[in-house]
Amino acid sequence: MASSNKAPTLEEFRARAALTGLTLTEEDIGHLHKGYVGLLRLMERIPERWAWAAEPPQVFRADE
Amino acid sequence: MTDLTTSDLTTLGIAEAGRLMARGDLTATALTEAFLARIESIDRTLNSYVTVTADIALNAARQADMEMRGGLRRGPMHGIPIGLKDIYETAGIKTTGHSHLKLDYVPAIDAETVRRLKDSGAVILGKLGTHEFANGAMTPDQPFPPVRNPWNTAYQPGGSSSGSGAAIAAALCMGAMGSDTGGSIRNPAGYCATAGIKPTYGLVSRCGIFPLSFSLDTAGPMAWTTEDCALMLDVLAGHDPNDQASARAPKVDYGAAAQRPIKGLRIALARSWYEGPDGKLSDDMAAGMEEAVRVMRDLGAIVEEVTFPDIRDYHICGRVIITTEAHAIHRRDVIERPEKFGYTTRRRFQLGAFLSAEQYISALRFRRKLQQDTRAAMRGYDLVMTANQWGPPEVFEDPAPIFHFLGKPSLSMPFNVTGQPAASVCCGFDAAGLPLSFQLAGRPFDEASVLAAGAAYERATPWRSRRPQL
Repeated sequence: MASSNKAPTLEEFRARAALTGLTLTEEDIGHLHKGYVGLLRLMERIPERWAWAAEPPQVFRADE
Repeated sequence: MTDLTTSDLTTLGIAEAGRLMARGDLTATALTEAFLARIESIDRTLNSYVTVTADIALNAARQADMEMRGGLRRGPMHGIPIGLKDIYETAGIKTTGHSHLKLDYVPAIDAETVRRLKDSGAVILGKLGTHEFANGAMTPDQPFPPVRNPWNTAYQPGGSSSGSGAAIAAALCMGAMGSDTGGSIRNPAGYCATAGIKPTYGLVSRCGIFPLSFSLDTAGPMAWTTEDCALMLDVLAGHDPNDQASARAPKVDYGAAAQRPIKGLRIALARSWYEGPDGKLSDDMAAGMEEAVRVMRDLGAIVEEVTFPDIRDYHICGRVIITTEAHAIHRRDVIERPEKFGYTTRRRFQLGAFLSAEQYISALRFRRKLQQDTRAAMRGYDLVMTANQWGPPEVFEDPAPIFHFLGKPSLSMPFNVTGQPAASVCCGFDAAGLPLSFQLAGRPFDEASVLAAGAAYERATPWRSRRPQL
């Protein structure tokens, strides 16, 4: 994934959480930070660059 | 009339019960009464039902009997008692999604699948427990007690179609509806030793079913045997203009497909998924898998190991899509009424707020690549075979992790990502008596081959004659 997906610190994550519109407790933020960082680590498997041919269809069709 | 005990009646297969009713040897009313009595007697230990609709079921059963006496036979589901996961909207009957947010919600109309089942003459016994909004976590702060595994109530039944799996295994219904976004049919089917099939994305309407992830959600049947799932799918499959993802697939006789021999069927074994760097099957599960491969070969199928994309690729691809879409669906409630969600559900639904559009689109692109690569790997093969579970289910005392995707990769996610049909098939029991299972997946819209292979395996093995002692 793109370099913008560098894992945020808890402080950076808290600042970002304030912009989401969610009402979050400190405990929520702690759990969500761990979950997000874990997800980002797994997302390193998703390629960064794509050919135009890889654009997804508007409607997902398993029969194409 | 045939002299069957209550226990005999509740362990009949759908096909067998249908034959008895067609001959006049059994009534839908007697069958329904037997199930209602058994629910009353033992479900307090399992909590598989959140709502039992006894009066409605008995009225439907009497109607079915009247029709059959008059010569009207609607098909194999006529007079068959079934349950519905409580995310299926039911006219005049509460549909809670197992959530405080929907505790008093009474829909005005039935989900399209429910309408089809009712039209086929099926008898609705009630609504079955699930994980809140089908999100894959059972926590004590949800409004109904957690569903327990009928093989050992200290264990989880799997989910999110938990009540569906538990009720079928415990002979509390003959079939049930589940839904599968990341494995929610195959997971409880595996842990409860039932059969269950996630149809091809688009084959069965999702209209009137609470969504979790628009582009991955599927609705499908669960039953004690694969043959019974096929009979249910005969009723469920078909285009629905009210579901934008609904496909116009040709009509197939799935019941007939379940009787087909499988000699010459070519099966690609995805061994690398369950023997990869991120996970290893339990010893019993590994032995069950090897034995299942041997049985398939004995039945005449050609089973060969094939290399597919890494299981972790499907896992993260599906997880990013579910996390983002679930947030979009539930965003308003997680902002305005977060306290109404269970603590795990709330955080899983909140997490999507932190994912960017770029990350979501990348996952969609990745899905397309995985679809194409999977199709290429399957070239020359009719089916994919792989494990359905890493080992036994979790024990209730162990708290469920908030973000379960940080553990082992999901063995079921590949076929959600690719949209292919995939079934769970019981392949024995471990040393503690807990069920083992494998998956069979077909090409898109080739449920027929999946059902043929699953049913052939069940006929060749003794596992369908073993039921939990309750």
